[in-house]
Amino acid sequence: MPSDSGSEADMDEGATIQGLVDALRRRESSAVELVDRYLQRIDRLNSSLNCFCETYPERAHATALQIDQQLAAGDQIGPLAGVPIAVKDNIVTDFGHTRCGSRFLENYKSPYASTAVERLEQAGAIIIGKTNCDEFGMGSSTEHCAFGAAHNPWDITRVPGGSSGGSAAAVTADLCCAALGSDTGGSIRQPAAFCGIVGAKPSYGRVSRYGLVAFGSSLDQIGPLARTVQDAALLLGVLAGADRHDSTCADRPVPDYVAQLETPTKSLRIGVPKQFLSDDNDPGVNAAVRDAIAVYRSHGAEIIEIDLPLSEYGIATYYVIAPAEASSNLARYDGIRYGRRAELGPDDDLLDLYARSRAEGFGPEVQRRIMLGTYVLSAGYYEAYYKRALQVRRLIKQELDAAFAQCDALLGPTTPTVAFSLGEKADPLSMYLCDVYTTIANIAGICAISIPAGFVSIDGKRLPVGIQIQCQAFDEATMFRIARMFEAATDHHTHRPDIDDPVRSTDIAR
Amino acid sequence: MTTPAITSTRLKIGMEIHVELATRSKMFSRSPNLAHPDYYDAAPNSLVDPVVAALPGALPVMNKRAIELAMIVGLAINCSIAKFTKWDRKNYFYPDLPKGYQISQYDLPLCFDGEVHFTGVDGTTKRVGIIRAHLEEDAGKLGHELPGGKPYDGSLVDLNRAGTPLLEIVTHPDLASAADAVIFAKELRNICRFLGASEGIMQRGHMRFEPNVNVIIETDDGREYATPIVEVKNLNSFRAVHDAIEYEHQRQVEAWKSDGIVDGPGLKSTRGWNDAKRTTVLQREKEESHDYRYFPDPDLIPVVVSDTWRQEIASRIPQLPMQRRARYKKDYDLSAEDATALTDERDLCLFYERCVKAIHTDGSSDITGVQAGQACAKLLLNAGAKRAHERSCPIHELGITPEQISQLILLRDSNAIGSSSSNELFALLCKTDDDAQPVAERAGLMQVSDEGQLDEWIEQAIQAQPQAADDFSRGKDAALGRLVGEVMKLSRGQAEAKSVQAKLRDRLRGD
Repeated sequence: MPSDSGSEADMDEGATIQGLVDALRRRESSAVELVDRYLQRIDRLNSSLNCFCETYPERAHATALQIDQQLAAGDQIGPLAGVPIAVKDNIVTDFGHTRCGSRFLENYKSPYASTAVERLEQAGAIIIGKTNCDEFGMGSSTEHCAFGAAHNPWDITRVPGGSSGGSAAAVTADLCCAALGSDTGGSIRQPAAFCGIVGAKPSYGRVSRYGLVAFGSSLDQIGPLARTVQDAALLLGVLAGADRHDSTCADRPVPDYVAQLETPTKSLRIGVPKQFLSDDNDPGVNAAVRDAIAVYRSHGAEIIEIDLPLSEYGIATYYVIAPAEASSNLARYDGIRYGRRAELGPDDDLLDLYARSRAEGFGPEVQRRIMLGTYVLSAGYYEAYYKRALQVRRLIKQELDAAFAQCDALLGPTTPTVAFSLGEKADPLSMYLCDVYTTIANIAGICAISIPAGFVSIDGKRLPVGIQIQCQAFDEATMFRIARMFEAATDHHTHRPDIDDPVRSTDIAR
Repeated sequence: MTTPAITSTRLKIGMEIHVELATRSKMFSRSPNLAHPDYYDAAPNSLVDPVVAALPGALPVMNKRAIELAMIVGLAINCSIAKFTKWDRKNYFYPDLPKGYQISQYDLPLCFDGEVHFTGVDGTTKRVGIIRAHLEEDAGKLGHELPGGKPYDGSLVDLNRAGTPLLEIVTHPDLASAADAVIFAKELRNICRFLGASEGIMQRGHMRFEPNVNVIIETDDGREYATPIVEVKNLNSFRAVHDAIEYEHQRQVEAWKSDGIVDGPGLKSTRGWNDAKRTTVLQREKEESHDYRYFPDPDLIPVVVSDTWRQEIASRIPQLPMQRRARYKKDYDLSAEDATALTDERDLCLFYERCVKAIHTDGSSDITGVQAGQACAKLLLNAGAKRAHERSCPIHELGITPEQISQLILLRDSNAIGSSSSNELFALLCKTDDDAQPVAERAGLMQVSDEGQLDEWIEQAIQAQPQAADDFSRGKDAALGRLVGEVMKLSRGQAEAKSVQAKLRDRLRGD
């Protein structure tokens, strides 16, 4: 398969899901060719980005061949037929490894597939590989990985964000057409913002969590990372809906998000929480939000200032609830049934087995959160931390309910800064503050999306800025429509990093 | 200092009972349930799926049937049912606990505030208050033997039991003797079995009892002392329940005599039962502050019980053993022993009732309810129990059907068979599906009351026993037996005895 510049250009042209599916339907390309081109691109670029943990060439080929045969036979094909999609390393597949970026699960292979992956495959998607992430989704930079950090395609000395940084980088660098991520406190939206793509966190209960390796069960959601709002909407349409394997997954009808995408929203009211335009944000971030406000206003939206005084407790609340749930969710990694098991000496006992297996298998950030979570659930501290956090959670929900009585969506920055340099946030607290605008959606269970909204230049590099649109629980249709309005009026999403330039090894080393 | 003398001691016993519910699938997964009869003999670790093994990404989904069985038991023991309840995680590490936490109900149990009445060993009605009954999942099993009993150097985990729905019933300390504790335990087992909630097979660990025991000691100075409470873990036979409580009774009195320690906060200890030595063994001194870090399980949604649902479950409750015993005494005039024997096993009890019902539905007899109830009870508890004992098989599984039993009783009632033939016919009916009468006919068990035939046998008997005939005709009553015996011999037992006697009297004495 030649990988001349012509075919690359073709691929870039048709690199939205709909574009690829249409090209396949018109027989302008075959699914096998498509898979080959993506795999070649991964081969060429992954060494500098480290966004894929592993790829599934044989399986991808076999699936592609099947789709080509179906196309040749004139059979019905699914909405994602032939589309190469990457899956975050914490979403299980019944092929390959699922390591969650953890030494503990270095050799782990899941015997069953997640509902999300099953639904993608039923829709014809080709799972091309697994993407790097912070260990068990705990991190905001994709640096806390047992198997090396991922890099931002816009500047490989910078992080792609996290924890779904591998997925974001892969989509950005066009190593796949779209990807699945998971979002517990911003893990889809923040990397999407850092990489200049679209990332949607669905409402809690919109997508089945079955097969998503649990971090914070009451907060976790699987969602799409894609290059356009339409692709994200299309993917969510495939992923969403009730699942008998997940009782927290809502039994509600799934609207046709794509069909409603261009429907204009009448008398749109955009709420801008005043707390979100903080002076602590990068000036370029605030500028992008103001530009976005101007775009919406020019499209007839009413802009309403919203006061969310409790939003400042989002981070504190999140960093009690998420570690508490994580400390319990990660107890299953005990070295008894699968995963890491420490070598024991003759005098070692069961406690040594637990302690050493976990100490060897878990990285420092995971250990920190397990300890944090264990502490806040302990007798004597439960009331002061965990119970209090649940109370604040309820209040934050109420505050957001009140806000949504005044407006259709909340607009603000996704992150306070653009992508930072690898190693820059050595202090855990400063890393946690990356989530300052994203955790609220998880705490309240509402839906939120990050979309490209411009660039700032730092050291001669263009770095993307993302804006976040948050809507009421299960109102993804409105969320996508509002996001699409902005996308249709701007061209930020069309910019691609110049990743095909030869990568200097010194850049990576730094 | 002189120790005051003990004037009396009395036991104060509360009970925690773990009941494995016999649902088809496990509490939170679709994997088959070891406590369901279809899966008793499953190979180790064969009843396992991603949820049971706690694989990464697996999620629990509640088994609605388990909730319903828990509710029906709760209602049967007169509990209130929570309108809103939820699931909590009890966090601790153990190799038989795959998730590192057990899903249980912490502060909002499904059932609470109930009571059970039973007839105590002294014949009076006793009441045991139920504090709560909540649902949780069972753990797996740790072993050190390979299947077949070969020893293994190391530990083995079998997850077949992991996730079995477990109803934990907690009582108030209302029991006052080991004997009553056992009667209560049996009563509870019977209730669960009558409800179809659990198979209640003790040897399989379907029910495990944990008595909380202490002793109130009275001394001659009029004071009372309560010994520290001991929880005896994991007893799975009634005998162990009885003996462990008796043992604790003595041990605690002796302990008090030597150290004088009385019950107080944090003094509760946990002991295990050594079945071979028939003693309890200290497991955990004092109440260790075990921190399970309970919190609501975010993977499961709360359970809301509507009035309609609760009422629907309540309407499924059959008559329970205690009520049935009362009815048997009232309607059939059964003795307390017989009534208890018949209600001790659900299946026998239901079999008995089908037998009685079959007699009435037959309609061919004017046998009364009392007679039917009595006759069935006697037949099952005599002929049935004897044969069951010989075959080591439950009475209701001997092969004889309620219809056949009813036919047998009706044949006997109408003197169509002699009472001496009834055991033989019972045995024959255990081996065939045919109706009782043809079986009795083929076996020559039908009594002959045909005049001509009887007269013929009587003439033959008089000729064969002239001396006896002579004696009887001259007023020697005792001689009648020999003549009757001769007729029976000639008729091979088929002659109807009363008619034979009457005819002999007629013939030889003319009165």
